Amino acid sequence: MAYEALDFYDIDSLLTDEERMVRDMVRDWVDEKVIPNIEKACRDGVFPDEWRVDLGEMGILGAPLKGYGCPGLSYIAYGLICQELERGDSGVRSFASVQGSLAMYPIWDFGSEEQKNHYLPRMTTGEWIGCFGLTEPDYGSNPGDMITRAEDKGDHYLLNGAKMWITNGTIADLAVVWAKLDGVIRGFIVEKGDPGFTAPEMTGKHSLKASVTSELVFQDCVIPKDRILPDVEGLRGPFSCLNNARYGISWGAIGAAQSCFSSAREYALSRIQFDHPIASFQLVQNKLAWMLREITKAQLLAYHLGKKKDDGTWIAEQISLAKMNNVDIALEIARMARDIHGANGILDEYPVMRHMANLESVKTYEGTHDIHNLILGRHITGIQAFTREP
Amino acid sequence: MLLKQVPDTTAKISVSGGRVDESAVSKWSMSPYDEYALESALQLKEAGGGEVVAITCGPARAAKMLTDAAAVGADSLLHILVEDLSTLDSTQVQAILAAAVARTDSDIVFCGKQAADTNAGSTGPGVAHLLDASCVTMVSEVTSDGGSITAMRASAGGNERVAVSAPCVFAFDKGITELRRPNVRGIMMAKKKVAETLSPADLGVDTGGSSVSTKGHTPPLEKPPGQQFEGAESVAEVVGKLRDEANVI
Repeated sequence: MAYEALDFYDIDSLLTDEERMVRDMVRDWVDEKVIPNIEKACRDGVFPDEWRVDLGEMGILGAPLKGYGCPGLSYIAYGLICQELERGDSGVRSFASVQGSLAMYPIWDFGSEEQKNHYLPRMTTGEWIGCFGLTEPDYGSNPGDMITRAEDKGDHYLLNGAKMWITNGTIADLAVVWAKLDGVIRGFIVEKGDPGFTAPEMTGKHSLKASVTSELVFQDCVIPKDRILPDVEGLRGPFSCLNNARYGISWGAIGAAQSCFSSAREYALSRIQFDHPIASFQLVQNKLAWMLREITKAQLLAYHLGKKKDDGTWIAEQISLAKMNNVDIALEIARMARDIHGANGILDEYPVMRHMANLESVKTYEGTHDIHNLILGRHITGIQAFTREP
Repeated sequence: MLLKQVPDTTAKISVSGGRVDESAVSKWSMSPYDEYALESALQLKEAGGGEVVAITCGPARAAKMLTDAAAVGADSLLHILVEDLSTLDSTQVQAILAAAVARTDSDIVFCGKQAADTNAGSTGPGVAHLLDASCVTMVSEVTSDGGSITAMRASAGGNERVAVSAPCVFAFDKGITELRRPNVRGIMMAKKKVAETLSPADLGVDTGGSSVSTKGHTPPLEKPPGQQFEGAESVAEVVGKLRDEANVI
C-alpha cells in the first residue's frame, strides 16, 4: 500500500510545484532504499555508503545553500527533505543535517572564497563527508567553556583537545571544529589524515544505530593557516549552524511521527480483539485523534517557520520552540504508537520502537528539550537561567 | 514518447456507483511500462543525440506527469487535454496520439506495451498503423548504431533482436536497465519546460461517437477467508490440504 502522509489541514496546497517534486523524489527514495534496508543497517550499526551516493546524486545535500554547486532550494524544501528522510530513520536525516547545516553551512557563511570553492562542490555531491565538532565530553549544553584549544605557531595552528557525540565523525573527510584561539572560539577545518587527528567510533548505542557517532581527538594536531574560518568569532559561529540544523529537525520529527501514526492507524484497523478491530474502541481512537492533532499543529509550526526562514524574518527562539515542540510530540506519538501495537510494537517488523529510541537522541541533541525551554524563558522574562552566575 | 498517467500501482482503488472513483485515488503516477520506455528513449538520446518529446493525452492532472518526465530529461512536453478519457475508445486515443506525433515530426516513438489501468495494449500497434510505421512490441532495450535501430524483445525461446528503420514504434515491456531517478537539478530545469497544451480539435481529430461504452466497473472478488488450524494433531490435515488442494507440496 502506498504511504499516505497525514495532511489534515492541506499543507500540500501551500507548497510550490518544485517543493512537492523534491518532497516526492525523497519520499520515493526513502520507500525504495531506506525502509527495506534500515533494520539491517541498524543491526549492523552502519550508515550504508550507497545512501551517501544517492543523497549526493539527488542533489539535496546543503539544500538551501546557493552557489558553489549547491542546490539553492527554499527552506521549505529543505524542511520537506528532512521530513521525508526522518520518516525513514532519524539517522538518515542526521547524516543530511550534519552534512548540510553543520559542515557545509559554516564554510558557506564564514569561509574564505578559496575554502568555499574547494570544499562545497565536493560536499554537495556527497563525494566528501563533513562533520561538526562542538560538544566535548564535559561540555554539552555549555559549549562556551570548551577545553579544546588552538595555538598559533606562526606557519600553522596546533590543535589539542577532544570532541564527543560527533555524527559522521569516523566516516568524515573533513571536520569543522570549534576551538579557542587566545580565548576566543574560532572555527577550523580539519581534514582526515591531518597529523595528530583521530576519530574513533563510539559504540553501544541503543539509538540512531544506523548513524555513525564518534569522538574527535586532537593531539598536537597540525592545521595549515588557511584552514581557519576567517569570518566568525565566538559562539555565533556554531550557533548559526545549529539554528539551521534545529530548523531541519523540527520538520524531521514530523516525518518520524508520521511513520508512527501511519503504522499505528494501519495496525489498529487490522488488529482484531474482542471480535472487533481495536480501531473501533474509544481509547484507541482517542490516541489516534491526539496524534493527528499534534502532527497537524507541528506541521503548521514548521511550515510557518519555514516561510519566515525564507523571507529572513525569523528569530532563534522561534526555532527553539519548533525543535522542542515537534520532537517532544514525535517522541510521545512514538510511545503511544508502540502502545497501540501492543507486544508487536517492540518488533523490528514495525518502525515504531526504532523511531522511539531514535527520538530520545533527537530530544537531547542540537539543544536539549530543557535548554530550549530556558532559551524561551530568557526570551519571555529577559532573565537568563542557564547559570547561577550573573 | 507517449506517456499515460494512471493510478499508482500501490494506490487503493475503490468503486462507487459502478465506476472507479478517480477522486479517491491517492496517488497518480506514470504507467510503469511507460517509465521503462522513457528510460530507453533518454538513453538513445544520450547515445545518439536528438530530442525527446513527452506526449500525453489526458486530464489536467496529467500535466504533473509531464513535468516528472521533464525532470528526468524530456526536452519538451505536449499535453493533449481530454478531461475524461473514458469517453474515447482506443482508436480515438490512437488517432490523437498519432496526430500529436506527426505534429512534432518525431520519427521514433516509444510507449509502454499497455497502460497499468486499462491494460488494453492497443496504443503502440494502433499508432504505428496510423503513422505507417514499423512496430516492435514487448521491447526491453533499444540501441542504435547510427543507421538502423535494434530492439530486443521477448520471443518464445528467450529474446530476439529486431532491426528496424524509422519511422518506428517501440512498445515496451519491463526494460533491462534501472530507471533513473530525478534530482534537484532536473527538477529546477523542469520548471522552465512549459507543456504545450492542445485539444484533439486543434489536431484535427474528431472525438465524437465513441464505439465503446463502459457498462460498469466492479471491484475484484474478495478473497475467501483463510483457514486456521491449531495443535499438532492438525498437521496431517494441513499437509493433506497443501498437497491436494493448494498443490504446493
